[in-house]
Amino acid sequence: MSRKKSGIWSFFSSVQLAIVLLSLIAFFALVGTLVPQREAAVEMAARVSPGLFSFLQKIQIFDLYHSVWFFLLMGLLAVNLAVCSLDRFPMAWRRFRMRPSAASQEIWKDISPADRFQAKAGLQEAAAAAERLLKKKYRTSMREDGTESVFLCARKGRFSLFGVYIVHLSILILIAGALIGSIFGVEAFVNITEGETADAVFIRGGERMILPFSVRCDKFTLELYDNGAPKTFQSDLTFLKDGKELHTEKLLVNHPVEFEGFRFYQSSYGAAPGGKATLELSRPGGKSDVVNVAAGYTFDLPGKEGTFEILKVEQNLMNMGPAVKVLVRSRGREETIFVFHHIDQIRQMNPGIIDQVPMFNPGLVRPYTFVLMGLEEKNYTGLQVSKDPGTPVVAFAAVLLVGGLMLILLSYARFVWVRVQLKGEGVDVSVAGRSYKNKAGLEKELQYLLAELKDNLERPA
Amino acid sequence: MINTTVLSWVTFIYFAAFVFYLFRMVLGREFWGTVATWVARAGLAAHTAGLIIRWKASYDMGMGHAPMSNFYESLIFFAWTIALLYLLIEWRLKNRSIGVFVMPIAFLIMAYASIAPGINQRIEPLIPALQSNWLTSHVLTCFMGYAAFTVAFALGIMYLIKSAFSVRGFTPGMFIRLLPSEYQMDDLMYSSAVLGFIFLTLGIVTGSVWAHYAWGSYWSWDPKETWSLITWIVYAVMLHARLVRGWRGKRMAWMSIIGFACVLFTYLGVNLLPSLHSYMT
Ligand code: HEM
Repeated sequence: MSRKKSGIWSFFSSVQLAIVLLSLIAFFALVGTLVPQREAAVEMAARVSPGLFSFLQKIQIFDLYHSVWFFLLMGLLAVNLAVCSLDRFPMAWRRFRMRPSAASQEIWKDISPADRFQAKAGLQEAAAAAERLLKKKYRTSMREDGTESVFLCARKGRFSLFGVYIVHLSILILIAGALIGSIFGVEAFVNITEGETADAVFIRGGERMILPFSVRCDKFTLELYDNGAPKTFQSDLTFLKDGKELHTEKLLVNHPVEFEGFRFYQSSYGAAPGGKATLELSRPGGKSDVVNVAAGYTFDLPGKEGTFEILKVEQNLMNMGPAVKVLVRSRGREETIFVFHHIDQIRQMNPGIIDQVPMFNPGLVRPYTFVLMGLEEKNYTGLQVSKDPGTPVVAFAAVLLVGGLMLILLSYARFVWVRVQLKGEGVDVSVAGRSYKNKAGLEKELQYLLAELKDNLERPA
Repeated sequence: MINTTVLSWVTFIYFAAFVFYLFRMVLGREFWGTVATWVARAGLAAHTAGLIIRWKASYDMGMGHAPMSNFYESLIFFAWTIALLYLLIEWRLKNRSIGVFVMPIAFLIMAYASIAPGINQRIEPLIPALQSNWLTSHVLTCFMGYAAFTVAFALGIMYLIKSAFSVRGFTPGMFIRLLPSEYQMDDLMYSSAVLGFIFLTLGIVTGSVWAHYAWGSYWSWDPKETWSLITWIVYAVMLHARLVRGWRGKRMAWMSIIGFACVLFTYLGVNLLPSLHSYMT
């Protein structure tokens, strides 16, 4: 190593630091699963003194995974990884480029009897057999001929030397991707009632964020299993811009919809307030009409004697069930009346209520009688909306990580040598190998080569 | 249901295999080892059949999902991966002495699944968030990882037992002598941990992809996710300590025990904390 290393450099290239940092990160992650985080921290506020709570809040223990501490640790780990890898990469590069000489002598110094055998064969014949075997197993082999001996050499798996660097690089990219996400990302939700359009979403803490487009929920469909658990639910969404419909797509659980970088996920549903109602209107002797109404609608009274307007549709008015507020204009008179669905029960439960509150009296707009037949059930769809420009970066890092690990696991860099020497009537064949790891695997490979060669040479031609 | 009957029989077969492995270790006759291996293989075959019957039953009931969707099924699957991985290792290494430590773990998990109160053995429909092919690949890779960590843990225990006896200068009994050499156990412990690390990495990656589709973000610091990260870091530390700091033997054994404790907490302990992953609710 020619480069003089400064103290800071060697501090950051040490694996001890890596072990300390990784342990600290694990410890912080652990604390975060024990102390309630974010919204859940509210319950802590009730249990500890306000002073302690605000102190804990100040040191960001309630949002540990987004705290300065966590960013700091991640940053240090990134520097550690980068410096350590830069420090070691030249060595891996040298190992990658290394071309061993076939006739390298020191390899044969302490060769064990298990790695050699004698056979009755000519030098050239044995060398050719060995070369064929190496070519078959390692694709290329180098050869050096002496007067009484032939040396062969092959190598394999040298790309796996880069496995560690790929894995470490992937961690760096992962950290970068997570950082991009936490700086530029958006996490929000919005509930949209069937048929309605939303042009803003709510970020954590209830803050509103205007979208660069609007979303309409055309239809919401819910399917249940026999036991009442939800089987599927889906929303038909239309994306609009300046009133123009740009895109329509079905949104299912596990099948998000993406529009202009925002991903919409089906996360929940529920019954929506408001909506439509069915009213029956009759007058004595006349036939009765059934009309579908919603807030803001105006209808003619039978015989064009006036009009009535729907002011409000309530799912549950003052705990008395569904109700519709109607304004009736007839013969210069204006009356406002609440029409209840459960008027008979209400009368029973609160005798005299109709005298106290004339607006509740169904007889108020005689000769007309309104009956509220029912409310139309309407659902809202609960959508999670997110935008994380770091996601493709993280995905790329994950692919690199898995690929690098595979490279490390499935392969290793090694050299193997074969020496064929004249000895008496026949030849002496020996094998040797070098690797940085997986010595046991290498020994097995050498034994395999030896057995194959033996087999080849002893087989009668 | 026929599948739960088959699976409860498997529990007894695994127990028998454990007893035969124990005979081998105490009596020192390889005959018992051969019996143990064949009993364990029969158990694994029955176990596999049970899983397939259960899988098919779920299709017949019109919900069609791999048997990995609730706590009972995950326990059964965990035991299956342990038995499978162990028998593969035994076959590759031609060494039976790990069996006496691994088979009881598979047996205990099966027994827990069959008799613990509050474990629902019925086949149930999947809620929408679980209806994904990523579920299968996520659970498969995670449990393969857990099984490898289980083997590393068993080896860690074996290592500590063997080294405790050899240090005191006893003439070790048959049981201790039949354990693999300390060098071999150390090596195998490391290989198992590496295998587990790779599978756990795959498990976390597939889980993130799934979360990306189902919940809108690839990582949300849910307790189970966080604990799987902690486990992953513990094994990363173990790997580095060995490769670069040269840790061997006892320290590695302790690391594999700590790592396994994290695995267990990720799998079971986290259910005490509120979570998206909770099997218990
Ligand atoms: C979460 C983060 C990390 C992961 C997942 C990771 C992963 C790995 C893996 C899988 C190996 C094994 C390579 C093999 O078997 O050949 C390895 C080796 C190594 N890692 Fe890391 N690592 C991480 C962080 C770090 C950090 C921060 C350092 C900084 C010093 C570091 C330094 C090393 C070194 C020096 C080696 C040995 C390389 C060799 O054998 O030549 N690692 N790492």
